[in-house]
Amino acid sequence: MSIGGSDLDKAITQLRACRPIPENQVRELCYKARELLIEEGNVVGVDAPVTICGDIHGQFHDLMELFRVGGDVPDTNYLFMGDFVDRGFYSLESFLLLLCLKVRYPDRITLIRGNHESRQITTVYGFYDECLRKYGSANVWRYCCEVFDYLALGALVSGAATSLSPTDGPLAETTNVESLPDSDSEIEIETLNANGEIMYRYARNSDSQSNAVSGANSNPASSSPAAPTPSRTGPAGTGATSSANGSSRNDTGAVLCVHGGLSPLIDTIDKIRLLDRKQEVPHEGAMCDLLWSDPDDIDGWGLSPRGAGFLFGADIVKCFNHKNDLSLIARAHQLVMEGFKEMFDSTIVTVWSAPNYCYRCGNVAAILELGEDGSNAGFVRRSNGERGGGGGGWALGSNDEPNRNGGGGGGANDNRRLSSVLADGMQRMRDGPGRRYRVFEAAPQDSRGMPAKKPVADYFL
Amino acid sequence: MAEEIPNLKTLLSSRRGGSSRSRGRGRGFLGSSHEGSEVLRDNAVRGTDQDAAGSRVSCVELGYLHDPYAKLFATQASTRRLPLLNRGTYVRTSAIDNLVDRFMTTDPETRKQIVSLGAGTDTRYFRLRDKYLDAQIVYHEIDFPANTAAKLINLQRHAQLHTKLTPKGLPNPPSLGPAAAEYHSPTYNLHSLDLRSLASASDDTPPPRLPNLDPSVPTLILSEMCLVYLQAPNVSSILSTFLKTYIPAPTPVALVLYEPILPDDAFGRTMISNLSTRNIHLPTLLAYPELGDQRRRLKTYGFSDGVKAVDTYFIWQEWVSEAEKERVAGLEMLDEIEELNLLLKHYCVAWGWRDGGNEGAFSRAWKHVGDQEGD
Repeated sequence: MSIGGSDLDKAITQLRACRPIPENQVRELCYKARELLIEEGNVVGVDAPVTICGDIHGQFHDLMELFRVGGDVPDTNYLFMGDFVDRGFYSLESFLLLLCLKVRYPDRITLIRGNHESRQITTVYGFYDECLRKYGSANVWRYCCEVFDYLALGALVSGAATSLSPTDGPLAETTNVESLPDSDSEIEIETLNANGEIMYRYARNSDSQSNAVSGANSNPASSSPAAPTPSRTGPAGTGATSSANGSSRNDTGAVLCVHGGLSPLIDTIDKIRLLDRKQEVPHEGAMCDLLWSDPDDIDGWGLSPRGAGFLFGADIVKCFNHKNDLSLIARAHQLVMEGFKEMFDSTIVTVWSAPNYCYRCGNVAAILELGEDGSNAGFVRRSNGERGGGGGGWALGSNDEPNRNGGGGGGANDNRRLSSVLADGMQRMRDGPGRRYRVFEAAPQDSRGMPAKKPVADYFL
Repeated sequence: MAEEIPNLKTLLSSRRGGSSRSRGRGRGFLGSSHEGSEVLRDNAVRGTDQDAAGSRVSCVELGYLHDPYAKLFATQASTRRLPLLNRGTYVRTSAIDNLVDRFMTTDPETRKQIVSLGAGTDTRYFRLRDKYLDAQIVYHEIDFPANTAAKLINLQRHAQLHTKLTPKGLPNPPSLGPAAAEYHSPTYNLHSLDLRSLASASDDTPPPRLPNLDPSVPTLILSEMCLVYLQAPNVSSILSTFLKTYIPAPTPVALVLYEPILPDDAFGRTMISNLSTRNIHLPTLLAYPELGDQRRRLKTYGFSDGVKAVDTYFIWQEWVSEAEKERVAGLEMLDEIEELNLLLKHYCVAWGWRDGGNEGAFSRAWKHVGDQEGD
């Protein structure tokens, strides 16, 4: 039978109910998906508006929650940054549903490859066993792995607005009205909870940002063990920044989306385009690095504790972004207790979309919405000129104390380091796009249908 | 084995008064009363041992640990655990091995006693026999009768275990009856009892006699995920029985605990909720949430000459040599770094000792083992 048109819609309906589709339909679906993906470049072009999602890991019911919070396909344009499978109990249903949506609405959903979309990793982390259990043979796993080989390695989002058009959502209970910027401010970051209520809002203007700091003390996630600085203030995950260089440019660079991060072998996006991606993820090399690397508070490059990919520091990111005219790198790959985490003066963000990861970690999840430039047309950006010259402005990362006086702090240090390796013009970083994070928790227990008997030991007993 | 109702009922009776009405009850009554639910909980706790045994086998088969005995005890089909669990089991086992080894090698010619609480299928005794050929070890394991009986069956089934039940040079022990739940020899003892019976001891009712437990030999008490299942006041009473009655001063005595910490953050709350769905409850986790609380509790028990506590993340970072880290990291590709670090930060090894101070056996043994900063 062929899967297309109404058959495809039937398959979508069935998968939405978390019921696997028959093996022959999977084969057909995978064939169709491959035909589609083979036409995509290694780096897919995507126009804003788009909603960027991180790891899913087979947490099907949480994926449904994600669609509830972020809007359904095709109403919302989605970009998933890989790691659809492994760890959770419903890798099969999650991946096949995303794949069906891709085939049905190819222009409304983009899937790129994560390090778990690999034969080797799926045999260790659960997807292979799940296919065997659900179909009695490894055929479906094999079909899926063939699709994995055709997934793009990255995506380039263009046309994102520099500021958000404010939502009219109500305030979350914990939000302090006083802490929100004026209504005429240019909104750089907004964080909403699963009900669309505003948790935090940050203007690109530094003053209102520092106002926001005090208001954000109510952030419930700040007690998270992932935050090394207990006294940390500010919104979960954000490292809000202003471009305090006297610049008043109001265009934003593109946003590169990749599962893991950068590679020492890749200094331009064009070099990613030249890779031969249609293969199993290699153990080393550029393609491996893009899927495995992590940003870290180091200078330059470092060895990764994962045994694949590298660690890379702020200088690497800033240099890469400048060279490639990027304002932001969005990536996934690392569990973040608060759902997202901006680093290095907001030049890179980790987005994590698997709440209560592995049903064990207790974290919340997030998705990142980038608006479309048109919605901001004609807006004259407020100048930050009077604050000029002072390096990176206000930095707020999990490891940096915010500097309320502007100028100094971690951001300035980063920039000093940067200025030693880069020409003067480099200091002019592109303004990041306006970023709306929607944070959500795991789907309610009763709807999750977690098997009573878990296949693995969860704790040390 | 799940059919069996453990003897703890009879033991509990000394506190509750009259146990006969609940003894020998059919399963149908379980859960219908407070006592029934307690039995269910005890079964759940006893079941945790096979969890640990399976994790150990997974680690051995992948080369994390060297333990030729692990697979002899595992009843579950060998299942490969996720890399992060293997790493965690490795850290836990090698950390406790480290403390035990330092004890064994301090005054190696003198007799040493080790009491392993809730030992289950633990293989440490057999590994120590191989490692310290000439050591004079008096080893005691204490567990629920169902667990000791199962262990005895295994001990008799495998010659490499059976021949180690008596001291070196002595003939093998005779075979025991199929229903045996206890074993005693000058070097290895399996005591079948519910630890809570030690808590109810008083001047009028002395604690149960533990054959071959020598009150004059330096004694290391191990609790790897054992005492954490009991109520904090019970644990205090049990240790008081050890420190005052079984091993009275001035005999050196020490306790090494391995158990979870940090119940109040997102990961800890999820752990408590997940385990409770398996009917597993960890009362002392709530009583001693942080490393500082662990150190303080050890002092309270009477370990007056030293207390230390470290989390297993610290152990991996600080105790494991770079070469060994590299070896272990090379065994499996580990993609769960953040999760592993979370997990490791939620378990600790805490240890304390009473040995008269500086020149005492434990003070010397553990002088150079690093403590973690922070209260």
